[in-house]
Amino acid sequence: MSAVPLPAVTLPSPAERKRALEDLLRTRRLQADAPPLRGEDRRLRPLATGIAGVDALLGGGFPRGALSEIHGPASSGRTGALLGLLAQTTRRGALGALVDPSDRLDPASAAAAGVDLARLLWLRGPRGASEELAPKALADAMAAAATLASSGLFDVVAVDLAGASRERRRLPPATWTRLQRLVESGPTAVVLVADEHVACGPGGALLALEPAAPRWSGPPGPARLLAALAARAHAGRHAPRSVDFTLAAL
Amino acid sequence: MFGGLHSPRPLPEEDALVAVARAFTPRVEAPSPTPVLLDLSGLGRRWPTPEALGRALLAAAAARAIEAQAAVAFSRATALVLAQACPGLTVVPAGKEAEALAPLPLDLLGLQTEWRELFRRWGLRTIGDLARLPPVSLAERLGPDGPRLARLARGEDESLLVPTPLPERFETTLELDWPVDGLEPLAFLLRRVLEPLCAALAARGAKAASLAVELGLVDGSVHARALRAAAPSGEARTWRTLVLLDLEAHPPRDAIARVTTRAVPTPSRTTQFSLLDPAQPSPERLAETLARLHAWTEAGRAGSPQLVDTHHPGVFAVSTFAPPPLPRGRREEATPGPRVALRAFRPPRLAHVVLKNGVPAFVSAPGVRGAVAASAGPWRASGGWWDVAWSREEWDVALRPDGQSEGVFRIFLDRLREEWFVEGEID
Repeated sequence: MSAVPLPAVTLPSPAERKRALEDLLRTRRLQADAPPLRGEDRRLRPLATGIAGVDALLGGGFPRGALSEIHGPASSGRTGALLGLLAQTTRRGALGALVDPSDRLDPASAAAAGVDLARLLWLRGPRGASEELAPKALADAMAAAATLASSGLFDVVAVDLAGASRERRRLPPATWTRLQRLVESGPTAVVLVADEHVACGPGGALLALEPAAPRWSGPPGPARLLAALAARAHAGRHAPRSVDFTLAAL
Repeated sequence: MFGGLHSPRPLPEEDALVAVARAFTPRVEAPSPTPVLLDLSGLGRRWPTPEALGRALLAAAAARAIEAQAAVAFSRATALVLAQACPGLTVVPAGKEAEALAPLPLDLLGLQTEWRELFRRWGLRTIGDLARLPPVSLAERLGPDGPRLARLARGEDESLLVPTPLPERFETTLELDWPVDGLEPLAFLLRRVLEPLCAALAARGAKAASLAVELGLVDGSVHARALRAAAPSGEARTWRTLVLLDLEAHPPRDAIARVTTRAVPTPSRTTQFSLLDPAQPSPERLAETLARLHAWTEAGRAGSPQLVDTHHPGVFAVSTFAPPPLPRGRREEATPGPRVALRAFRPPRLAHVVLKNGVPAFVSAPGVRGAVAASAGPWRASGGWWDVAWSREEWDVALRPDGQSEGVFRIFLDRLREEWFVEGEID
């Protein structure tokens, strides 16, 4: 009986393995959307929304360690942009938090946008808050946002203030300064979502949205569907720039 | 000298006989609640004769309402077998072990089923029958086990007593000379009880899965709290913060005179970090952060949203926020791309809808009012179609910008109630 020859196995030398590892690290460091390496300063990398035009407008996305804002009227794509940001964040394995005093998040929409729900901490307002938000509930929500922002555990802490303009005006003006100071030295991006301009930190991104006419799948009739929401985004305080974008509904 | 203690009756508590034995010596071998084996060496000063020692053992058992039988001998097998076989007290003088064991049934030696069956076929009934067999012949038939079994039958047991360790309790108590009132002084005291507790856990390679805190109050009552962290922790600082945050929400009603902390240990989880995966959040910091949000978590208003396997609109669950570890070798999945989202009204707002040719022409609800510029629908939906078929007609309507409200809203007709509702705003 003859012995079956085993295939020859050549192991890479230690120098080759080291070179391969360094190449891999270098590649990942240069890759803009790669997850951060341990010990790496993540503040350098902004958090993208996944909407190409908006990300380009913001210089890559929302900056870390700053208070940013998305504001616009109803159906201007505020929530779509926010869920895009949370989807991009949680899909990388990082954590996101949404403080929602008016209890307006629809988990099915969040899942459809690609948010990893297990990595999203959702703080909901009290029952019936979407009808009438008590001033104390909003103050509690801002205190919770401050706790989350200062923990440094979350890449994104979003506060949904849309539809609560009247109650928001009762908050002390120092609320926003305090929130900005809390995140300055951390890796967290705090994003406010509102109907109108509220606050934006010195290094934060200000994204103003303006709705355009919605797009439908066909002429009026029983088979018609909402196809997309169109909107225009404006960014930049001194030299404003704008871009048109759409959010798909189908 | 060894002592055997056995109870033929059911024990009042599982460890009752072990507790009796431990009152005499810490060297107790108790693989089962009964019988137990005691190492009685060195007790001659207190009990000068083996008989006195045996009687003391029986008296201690009787004091705990245990009907026990005891044996004192110079070999462990003899003490154990006689304690099980003979009622009352049996004392075997040195060198008389074989004689004492000889009339007893062979089953008491605790032999393997294979040997028991073999000896039954050989016609051996008592321990003495086995002891009388020639060791050489036994070795020829049974190998090295043969002479060992013969020696055991003669009471010549050479194995050592292996003490059973005490069940570990991770508990610390601090009795205060002067009661303290308020959380600030308690913070210092908690450090004094939690640091030794966590050090004991660390020495055993364990962490605390949960912590029970009992505060003995001046009025004689006990303020008890049970805490469970998001992940097991062995950090005294973390537990102190969690306890203080919990007591802030549930303060004791009187000054504190005694502090007891009791940890439920769990083995430490060793995590191999990866160079290439994102750093995961520290479980301790996550637990602390969630504890700071206790007003939200206790009301069930904080957690991870979860989809429920149903087509019923608006149904979801909220679970405890515990992000799972990233799977190894995970490849990043592409997101579906930017999509519209529903900003839900909970509960849906009752609306008045004017229809024109069967199509919504005007919508009026709290906060939503305007003429319809364009619409899509109807789409019939229902969660339990087998129960109430297609009871919901959905429309997406865009309101004219010149009205009170502008935007795109999802409205639906509840066909069972014949009422319209605004479900939310599409954003």
